Amino acid sequence: MSSSTPARHLPNGISRITNGTGGGGGARRTASMTRDGAIGAGLGEREAEEDAAEDPVQMMLRERWAQAEAKIAALFGTDGQTRRASRRPTPQPDGGAAHARFEEHAKTSPPPKKAARQIDDDYGDDDDEEEEEEGARRSPLMAKSKAALPNGLSPRAVRSPAPVSKPPAARTSTTSSSDQAKSSEDVRKQLEEDKAAAAERAKRSFQAMFYTLESDRDAMLEQQKLDELDREVENEISGGPNGTQGAQQDAAASTSAPTQGTLGSADLGASSLTLKHLIARIDMKRDMVRASDNQLRTLISEVRKGRSKWASEEKVGQEELYEAAEKVLMELKAMTEYAQPFLVRVNKRDAPDYYHVISRPMDIGTMIKKLKQLSYKSKREFVDDLNLIWANCLKYNSNSDHPYRKKALYMRKETDKLTPLIPEIVVRDRAEVEAEERRQHSLDADDSDEEDEPIMASRGRKAPAKGTGSKGAPSAAQKAPSVNVDDASTPEREVKPAVHASASHLRNEFLRADSEMQDASSAGFSTPPPPGTATPNINGVHASGTLGSQVDVTEVDGMGNSVISAQSEEADEDDPGFKTWKQVTKKDRALAASDRNRLFRGEHLNVDEPALLRSKAAMRRWMRQQREISADKAIHDGDIPEGDEQQDSSAPGETLAEGIEKDEDSTLPDYYNPLSAIPDLNERWRWTTDSEGKVVPQSEDWMRMYPKEQYKSPEGALSQRMKANMRQMQETRKVCSKIGIVKQMQLQGQTYQNQFQKYEPMPFVEQDVGAVVVSEAGPLMAPWVNRAALQSSIGKLFYHAGFEDFQPSAMDTITDLAGDYFRKLTEGLRAFREQPKTSTHAPRFSFEEQVLHALYEGGQDIEGLETYAKDDVERLSTKLGVVHDRMRSHLSDLLRPALGDNAGADGVGAFQEGSEEFVQGDFAQEIDEDFFGLRELGLAEELGLESLSVPLHLLQNRMHSAYQAQNQGPTISTGIVFPQPEPYDPVTTESLPKEIGLIQDFFRERLRKNHDESLVEDEDLPQKQRFPKPRLPPTGKISSPRKRPIREQQQAAKKKRKLEETEEKAKLEKPIGKLRLQVPEPNENGVDPEKDAEANVAMMSPESIDGS
Amino acid sequence: MAEARAKYRTEIQQMMFVSGETGDVSAETTSMIEGIVQQQVMEMLKRATELAARRGVRTISTDDLIFLIRHDKAKVSRLRTFLSWKDVRKSAKDSDEKGGSGGGDAGGVEDFDLTANDPTLGTGPSVGTRNSKNKKAKVGLPWDVSSFYSEVVPEREDEEDEEEEEMNAATLQRLKQADERTKGMNAEEYLHFSECRQASFTFRKGKRFREWAGFGLVTESKPNDDIVDILGFLTYEIVTLLTEEALRVKAAEDAVRRERGGDAEAKLRGRKRRREPGLFDPPEEARTPVGAKHTLEAYRRLQRPELKSRYLHHVPKGNWQRPLKLI
Repeated sequence: MSSSTPARHLPNGISRITNGTGGGGGARRTASMTRDGAIGAGLGEREAEEDAAEDPVQMMLRERWAQAEAKIAALFGTDGQTRRASRRPTPQPDGGAAHARFEEHAKTSPPPKKAARQIDDDYGDDDDEEEEEEGARRSPLMAKSKAALPNGLSPRAVRSPAPVSKPPAARTSTTSSSDQAKSSEDVRKQLEEDKAAAAERAKRSFQAMFYTLESDRDAMLEQQKLDELDREVENEISGGPNGTQGAQQDAAASTSAPTQGTLGSADLGASSLTLKHLIARIDMKRDMVRASDNQLRTLISEVRKGRSKWASEEKVGQEELYEAAEKVLMELKAMTEYAQPFLVRVNKRDAPDYYHVISRPMDIGTMIKKLKQLSYKSKREFVDDLNLIWANCLKYNSNSDHPYRKKALYMRKETDKLTPLIPEIVVRDRAEVEAEERRQHSLDADDSDEEDEPIMASRGRKAPAKGTGSKGAPSAAQKAPSVNVDDASTPEREVKPAVHASASHLRNEFLRADSEMQDASSAGFSTPPPPGTATPNINGVHASGTLGSQVDVTEVDGMGNSVISAQSEEADEDDPGFKTWKQVTKKDRALAASDRNRLFRGEHLNVDEPALLRSKAAMRRWMRQQREISADKAIHDGDIPEGDEQQDSSAPGETLAEGIEKDEDSTLPDYYNPLSAIPDLNERWRWTTDSEGKVVPQSEDWMRMYPKEQYKSPEGALSQRMKANMRQMQETRKVCSKIGIVKQMQLQGQTYQNQFQKYEPMPFVEQDVGAVVVSEAGPLMAPWVNRAALQSSIGKLFYHAGFEDFQPSAMDTITDLAGDYFRKLTEGLRAFREQPKTSTHAPRFSFEEQVLHALYEGGQDIEGLETYAKDDVERLSTKLGVVHDRMRSHLSDLLRPALGDNAGADGVGAFQEGSEEFVQGDFAQEIDEDFFGLRELGLAEELGLESLSVPLHLLQNRMHSAYQAQNQGPTISTGIVFPQPEPYDPVTTESLPKEIGLIQDFFRERLRKNHDESLVEDEDLPQKQRFPKPRLPPTGKISSPRKRPIREQQQAAKKKRKLEETEEKAKLEKPIGKLRLQVPEPNENGVDPEKDAEANVAMMSPESIDGS
Repeated sequence: MAEARAKYRTEIQQMMFVSGETGDVSAETTSMIEGIVQQQVMEMLKRATELAARRGVRTISTDDLIFLIRHDKAKVSRLRTFLSWKDVRKSAKDSDEKGGSGGGDAGGVEDFDLTANDPTLGTGPSVGTRNSKNKKAKVGLPWDVSSFYSEVVPEREDEEDEEEEEMNAATLQRLKQADERTKGMNAEEYLHFSECRQASFTFRKGKRFREWAGFGLVTESKPNDDIVDILGFLTYEIVTLLTEEALRVKAAEDAVRRERGGDAEAKLRGRKRRREPGLFDPPEEARTPVGAKHTLEAYRRLQRPELKSRYLHHVPKGNWQRPLKLI
């Protein structure tokens, strides 16, 4: 043992960051040790006084003890004792402070005071209920275990807790027993908590301390022995355990079903808490329920979930007894370090004279066999057998130095601690019990006390009463550690159910690892398998102390005297911490070691053996441990060690899967079994899901991506200007295409709307490289990517230089050249950069110099660059703007004639005169498309036709004719210059005299020809009758046959006009027809400008004059 | 060849006089200059022909010629101005024979030059003639912005081109030089000066020029008048440049010489002249016209490769000789 001490003092925190510092661990350790020391001191005090204890003295001592305890509790604040103490007084109205304190004593100190306890029996009940709830509230783990427990509860629980039935029970049945039971119950709880706390502490100390593997081999070997024993036992029992067990269970099932009428007190076995409440309820309203007791019992027994393997319908009390006994036995057996010599029968070869000395040999294996053969009828038989083992050993090995003696003494101590767990039950046949019950029922009429007993109560209830009644002392021993008393939640006067529950748990926990060791219920238990042994506390030791004085007298002959000495004899051979470690973790260590051993047996890797695999549960446990450690550390820092809180903090945060899967509870610290350790996972590799359960791809955020926009030209002033230039070019090209369309319209006689293609350039979008993962921040050096990027830049430059499109080969060439040039430039820069340093270790060239030199070598200088920026970019933009404006104005010039002669300056006038053919007809709307294609051609906007649609052919006609007309003369008529004069009055016979004399004859003749109708102006004539307008050939010579009359007309008109001018202005309207300045005469205007004056006059003269 | 060399002696002398060389230039110098000019012209023709051939045309166009000197912005702008005025003159002559010939004693380039460069006209030619009936058409270049687009659109009147202003600035600078030079002239001197300004390799010497420039040898086609006019303009420019550079060389040489062994007065004079190589400095015996060596040196300096020619000098070219630089 001493060899392991240095190992234990290894500073922790070497490998584990979360585990705090070695100092912290040491502090913790010393703390627990001091506590132990204090307890030990208290113990010694108590033991000295115990035997001669009279009430007042005892009271005083207890008070003192309580004070010490309170102090300790205040110091360490463990396991919520103080909390409960403060809670206690409230539900006890008549108890008073003293009583409360006393109760606390009762919890902590073994011999309860019967008198005091008598009074507040039922209150204690309530308290327990409350505590139970409190426990439930306090730790979810506990709650879970409770929920997982249903089959573990004894049938007695069903009968016990009804509030109605309790007071009479307390009154009638032996109050002392119930009182004692109550106190022992409390003590058990206390013990259980202590044990849990101790285990917890131990666990934490494991975290704070490194334990090595040195004792693992022993543990493994012991474990193997245990396993062998088990197998042996199994083999020896004829028919195999399963067979008998199954048969029993079958029997139980078969009996439970049909025995509705006969079974007065059906053994309902374990039932859940809800069932308990249900039964209490039924008991309360018994008179209202029509069903008979038997029916009810059957019903409940059917409802009940499961029964233990010991359950038997025929044997009342067997299940409880055997559960507990088995558990005790298993626990004892599990203390391999001490129990090892007692496991099997002593071999004659080993000790030839043994059977001479020992008349009744006994060993644990035999006991197990006996247990399985159901040969124990009562607790007493069982305990006797147990004690017989130790007694035999002590008897045979009379030498006080003998190592077995120590072990036997230790085992006996443990036995004494454990035996109170076994209920005082004498197994009886059911028939007998029923008979008794019937007998009791008959007595009910007279015995009012008995009547109040709950219906469900069974004989089994009486057993503890008798047992405690007969020997009051052992009940004190019931303070011995019990497991999860809280959860059993049975009222205190009912010892058995509690014990049974705990027993079942014990059983669960002590099942072999290779068998079905872990059932679901054990998941919640952080209590390690041999918890009782792990408690180095007051209670356990003290209990044994008192036990020694009390129990031995009654039960074990001649052993009493040796107890004290045995205790002193059995000094702690170990550091308590290490012992705790060994005991608590032994089984797990053994398992782990055997696993490893299997795999590596014979100093080499055994290929055929199953591999050591990590399991989910183990990993979860590892994580939990880590969390606990970290939380623990936090608490440490705050100096508030609190066991319960610790547990609480560890409880939440587990995955749901924990409840579902079997979670092996291992006591091994995380460093011990590195198989399941989870390496620190990088955050970015976590598998996380969002609220909808979809996996969040974290990779993108965390991957080292090539920075975006790296392949785009940076947004500088120059590049922006270039972009703007290119946009401008595109816009201008749009205008250009429109101009082209219009020009085509002018030339062609007929156009079709799909004749023209619309120019719709796409905006320039620079492409970036896609998402690329790079291994480091270095540049992306794929040559083709870079080349493509350079090509895109060069394409831009091409476009910027005015090329709308270009041949790929040209681009390739330029790209190659540019790449080459830049490479050269860069090489130059590097050469200048890497010039050897000057003597002063300063760079030979400053950065500016480097750049300038490199540029110069490359045939470039700042001036050239500036010139480029200024001339080829900035000036280009202004030039482009100018050209754009020019284009636009030209386009509008082109379009203007199309909009009509009177369309005004910007063509708006074309639509103001009700020229219906321009207004969009409904037909265009009906077709619901750009019927005329104007919009498509982009002309709609220019024509102001966003909402109107002009038939293309109309537009085209106008455009064409206007162009034709236009091209015949340079003069362009632009809109309405003057308002039109009023039309002249037609020349009629009435108005004839008003005309000037010279012309009257002419008019008269015309009128006569016209049948004295008013003369029609030439322009108003129908198209067919209209005279063709005279056209002057370029020669200026009028050669048409009509030439002469026109000449005459002109001259006449001229004369007339002259006359008119000389005459009054008022008469102006008479002789001449319409005077239109702008109508299609431009041709005549343009042909001979030198004769403008005359021609104009001639044009102005209406041709109505020459009707002939 | 010597005879051929001597073909343009007077013209060259006149040009040099306008450019600042007042002295009597030796025949050696003029013939050297003539040789240089001839070489330049031939080179230009050759390159222009190549360019035209690349376009798939056999005859060279004005654009080809202008393209050759495109990097010299000032020269291009002056050339364009010249061409546009030539257009104006031609159209004016077409439309109004009388009005066109009224302004100057001679038509053609000289007429333009005279009107354009005559400082007495005041604000300059563009302003003076803008308002006239005939508009000055701009000479478009194929690499101009307007050629980016498929449609050719007439220019508007109100457009004021930034570049044109720059052009004018360059022209005005030259005019100002001439103005300075002619400040102190009396009428006869000025008449002489203006006569000298009209010197040309081409004007009314078309045949001689064609022979001299090697038309038909260098280029198969027969260049039109425009090209000849442009070449005349460019030759004038070349001579001017050479003369100015040679004067500068000579001035530097004189300064060095004076510094070595000259007296204070000469130094003073030299400094003065250096500062202002005035045309009408008091005549001095020390003053000598530029010699052949000066011209040679000037030519060398002018042939110094530009920085830009290094652009692609990393491209392997084999046995490569630096091409003749067009001045």
